[in-house]
Amino acid sequence: MVLAAGTGADVLRAVLQGTPPGAVYALVALGFVLTYKTSGVFNLAFGAQAFVSAAMYFQARVEWGWSTVPALVLAVFVLAPLIGLLMERLIFRHLRTASAVSKLVVAIGLSVALPSLFETLTGFSGVAGKTPGGLVPDGANVFYDPLGVYPFSRDELVALGVAVVAMLGLGALFRFTSLGLAMRAVVESPRMTELAGIDSDRVSSVAWMLSSFFAGMAGVLIAPRFNTLMAPDFFHLVVVAIAAAAIGRLVSLPRALLGGLGLGIFIALFRTFLPRWSVDLPWLEPFQDNLTPSMPFVVLFGVLVLWPAIRRSPAAADPLSGVDPPPLSLVSTTRSKVLTRAARVFGVCFLLLVGLTVWFRGDVVWVHLVTQATIMSLIFLSVTIITGLAGQISLCQGTFAAIGALTVFQLADRWDVSVLVAALVGAVIAAVVGALLSIPVLRLGGIWLAIATLAFAFFFDAVMLKFSWVGGGDSSLLQGHRVPRPVLGPWDFADDRRFLVLVVVVFTVVSVLVIRIREGTTGLTLRGLRGSELAAESIGVSPARARMVAFALSAAIAGLGGGLLAIHQENVNYGNNFTPTAALFWVVLVVTLSARTVEGAAQAGAAFSLFNAVILQGAGLAWITRGHLPGFFPLSPKWRFVLFGLASIQFARHPEGLVEHGKRRATVGIDTRLAARRERASSQDANGGEGP
Amino acid sequence: MTTLFEATGVRKSFSGIRALEDVSLRVEAGERVGLIGPNGAGKTTFFNCVLGMLRPDAGRVLLDGQDIGGLPVHRRARRGIGRTFQRIELFADMTVREHLLLADRIRRGEGSLLRDLFGRGGSDADERRRCDEVLELLGLGDLAADPVEALSLGQGRLVEVGRALMTEPRLLLADEPSSGLDREETDALAATLREVQGDRGFAVLLVEHDVELVASFTERTYVLDFGHLIAEGPTAEVMADKRVRQAYFGDVEVGSGS
Amino acid sequence: MTPALELRAVEAGYGPFRALFGVTLSVPTGGAVALLGANGAGKTTVARVASGLLVPSSGSVHVDGRDLTGERTFRYARAGVAHAPEGRSVFATFTVEENLTLSFQRLLGSEGLNDGLERAYSIFPRLGERRRQVAGTLSGGEQRMLSMARVLVEAPPVLVADELSLGLAPIVTDEIYATLEAIRASGTAMLIVEQHVGHALALCEHVVLLDKGTVAWEGPADDAADVVVSRLFEKSGG
Repeated sequence: MVLAAGTGADVLRAVLQGTPPGAVYALVALGFVLTYKTSGVFNLAFGAQAFVSAAMYFQARVEWGWSTVPALVLAVFVLAPLIGLLMERLIFRHLRTASAVSKLVVAIGLSVALPSLFETLTGFSGVAGKTPGGLVPDGANVFYDPLGVYPFSRDELVALGVAVVAMLGLGALFRFTSLGLAMRAVVESPRMTELAGIDSDRVSSVAWMLSSFFAGMAGVLIAPRFNTLMAPDFFHLVVVAIAAAAIGRLVSLPRALLGGLGLGIFIALFRTFLPRWSVDLPWLEPFQDNLTPSMPFVVLFGVLVLWPAIRRSPAAADPLSGVDPPPLSLVSTTRSKVLTRAARVFGVCFLLLVGLTVWFRGDVVWVHLVTQATIMSLIFLSVTIITGLAGQISLCQGTFAAIGALTVFQLADRWDVSVLVAALVGAVIAAVVGALLSIPVLRLGGIWLAIATLAFAFFFDAVMLKFSWVGGGDSSLLQGHRVPRPVLGPWDFADDRRFLVLVVVVFTVVSVLVIRIREGTTGLTLRGLRGSELAAESIGVSPARARMVAFALSAAIAGLGGGLLAIHQENVNYGNNFTPTAALFWVVLVVTLSARTVEGAAQAGAAFSLFNAVILQGAGLAWITRGHLPGFFPLSPKWRFVLFGLASIQFARHPEGLVEHGKRRATVGIDTRLAARRERASSQDANGGEGP
Repeated sequence: MTTLFEATGVRKSFSGIRALEDVSLRVEAGERVGLIGPNGAGKTTFFNCVLGMLRPDAGRVLLDGQDIGGLPVHRRARRGIGRTFQRIELFADMTVREHLLLADRIRRGEGSLLRDLFGRGGSDADERRRCDEVLELLGLGDLAADPVEALSLGQGRLVEVGRALMTEPRLLLADEPSSGLDREETDALAATLREVQGDRGFAVLLVEHDVELVASFTERTYVLDFGHLIAEGPTAEVMADKRVRQAYFGDVEVGSGS
Repeated sequence: MTPALELRAVEAGYGPFRALFGVTLSVPTGGAVALLGANGAGKTTVARVASGLLVPSSGSVHVDGRDLTGERTFRYARAGVAHAPEGRSVFATFTVEENLTLSFQRLLGSEGLNDGLERAYSIFPRLGERRRQVAGTLSGGEQRMLSMARVLVEAPPVLVADELSLGLAPIVTDEIYATLEAIRASGTAMLIVEQHVGHALALCEHVVLLDKGTVAWEGPADDAADVVVSRLFEKSGG
């Protein structure tokens, strides 16, 4: 152990270095707790809001040449609270009685939609290498070294100063004003606050504006640390803030503040000492190289899994768990048999028609799209298992799929294993990873589970992927992740149409298995657990085991799908296919349509692949109008994210999923019409009977 | 005859406040026992200690003379403790029969993922017969294929009872089964429960606030107040006890008029 | 004369769980009604409906003749209904003084605030001694005093008090009922929800007996004693 005289100074330096970002984390964490407690929304969109304010500031300051003060006023004092107010008034206020998980899904949707909307409306785009400016000129360059230990840049000092002022202001607001008192009261209990004659909704609006203001402020303050203004960097900000808020169990404002500061310092310490340790301990080296950028996620995952307070009281951490309205039964269980059969026949005919059209008339692009849609549907069946059947929101399905894809690549690349065998091996590996992950994570309930899986996804993305035995390391950068198409006896699946048939067969088999699982003991057990964990335990169901099975199954399906996707594209394409953000998109898409049925997964798959071509590029319209197409296509792909954000709001209105909602409406409509006709018929009979 | 269930010296406190103080309770095989007490007396806490949702600070919980205090909830269930819920807990989106089927499968340890994957996860005739027998007994025969959200609260309670019965419990813990039911429904439930209990011979520990139901259903009764057992004995005697009335209704001078 | 508080044919419950089946009752201006019944009869649910915490699934709630059915809770408070909920209903992280301030601010304005605080401390001197203490660390009785002080300092037109004696030592209960007498003398209409019969009968002139979510009996408090005995005790076989 080297305890040189320098160590103490290094610790001090790291503490000083970690304080300014820690203060910014604390700001966001405070806002996070404030909105969560006053409105029950786990606002993952804070990162997006911070980005929008930072981008607005940059736009006004640099592009439009405004001076600092008006640009700051516009970005932080006007735009940020306005966005908060609009989110609360237009969206979350109407979701008051929605489940915590639906609100989470909406927040995820907004976190994707907001930056895209902003970029589309203002024409903003992040330019690499163009460092966003801070609040003071020459912020990055001028250093102050008051203690002779750590040279602060001017930006850091400004960040620290502003954060301290903001926190003091918040403290004064809470302690000395009636509004602050009311806000603290709503944080503790909205109902009791109402009993004192205070409109808790209005207080909650103000809390949203205030916390959004904090988010915007944090965005502008932290922007100079980044090389380019990009939304994902700001997502990291909210991730640390969640970890800080989790330390205070989402209820305590002071602890969230300390948590933010503490995490800032912890990250700085880690960055100081890890390189040193890895000199002595070479096995640490890959971690040292890769852990640094993903510290927020590691910290979040660690806090969630290790911090005892969260585990001890999942109910306290998620006050809305348990009041979620129970899901309705599937339409297919309540509607008449005839109608079900008719619907099935129609569905099969429709699929046949599509299949034949693509087979005979489709060009390369369409065959490609339909194949992709089928594989995505297969991957989405994993959501059907974990969310639709087991009732858990997992946000790391992309990682499981990536594990499948990378296994195929590794086995094929290194040992020349047949890709189809490799895909099955990938499914098994994904299942094992899923089962292992479920052990620490499943003790967390509801929303924490979702957040922990998200943290895992980012951790895999930033750390594991860099290992040569996982992501292929540097060699893959040179050669790419080449994956061959399989040859099975006489059939060579290099032919796209044949491969499509293979994929459809696999999808059909897995669909049948999923339906069998749903209707068998495993499905009964999981549905029972979702319906009431208490009651399931009371008849002897072991929740941990059942959920581990669900996680493993779901991971296996995702892994298989990921492997097929890699084979289809003849490349892993991790960045395009499997990033955590892309996978967020999957989950929201599936639950928005329908997480509980196979056809829901199929429709989500179709929507995912065909949406781009049909809607955004107007391919469908072009085909119909034979080229006489007005010139506004293709639309900017950013609109996809905006539309997607709007769709997620629909989800919260119909938590059973749009497909299921539509089916229910149609079934009820048909039933009433049939009943009316029967009644009319019988009354005519009666009339006829009275006749001569 | 050996004692089926016994709790001795159970003690539990929450952040310094004593919720249970040395509570001992015993249920013989096939016996109907009541546990009553005013709001906040500790009934629910005791219940949760028996079921394994809470760990008592001191005291032992015995089933067949074996200490089950360390077992998790689902293991206790498999040992033969069934329960119903005060705020009804059914599996939304499952039919009535599926509720029973699941309980049956869990008890027998039947059904595996592999069987499901081979398409043999559905119910066979034997299983259906067993479920329908219990449903007939409860008067739910016509509702077997209905989803549970179509049921009334009273019927839902019976489904809970049926689900618990499929685990072949030797002790059924009924948590305020009359809550949310009106007088008529309560009477109907009590009648069915007694019939089934006579038929199957399991023991019942009834936690109830409806004094009338306790009086008509149970043979012996325990009374909790402020975490202490203040009375126990044959139900009729306990009900006549002055201390019990005081605990329930306060110092009523009018009590002398009775 | 319009009653201060009136519930008409109220049905209410929690989700699929029904607690009240058509409850009608009214509290005349300046009158005091005791709501009695066994555990689980629905008394607390009535109190919650009366102060707007729970929206009835059918029926209506009128405060001073105004139909407030379906309005938000704070409207009830502004219409003059003060609710002392069961349990330890104080803001646990607030100091005693902050708890009181939150309630008085809207009622008394900033100029009347100090006066209100002083009056609260004169009614409950123990609260005055602990004014800087965080409410969560008070004893059960002190917390109950605090929640009473929040509603009692400026006598409200209507008071809904839910199980005031629950879990309190008899001497504290006596103290609180003495305060209620004083408030009643100043003209506040009261709906007193109680499990302990003695105090309630002494304070109120009218009694409503609840059984399984319906009104089983109602009448003057003088006649109530015998009825209560027969309803709550005799049926149980004692």
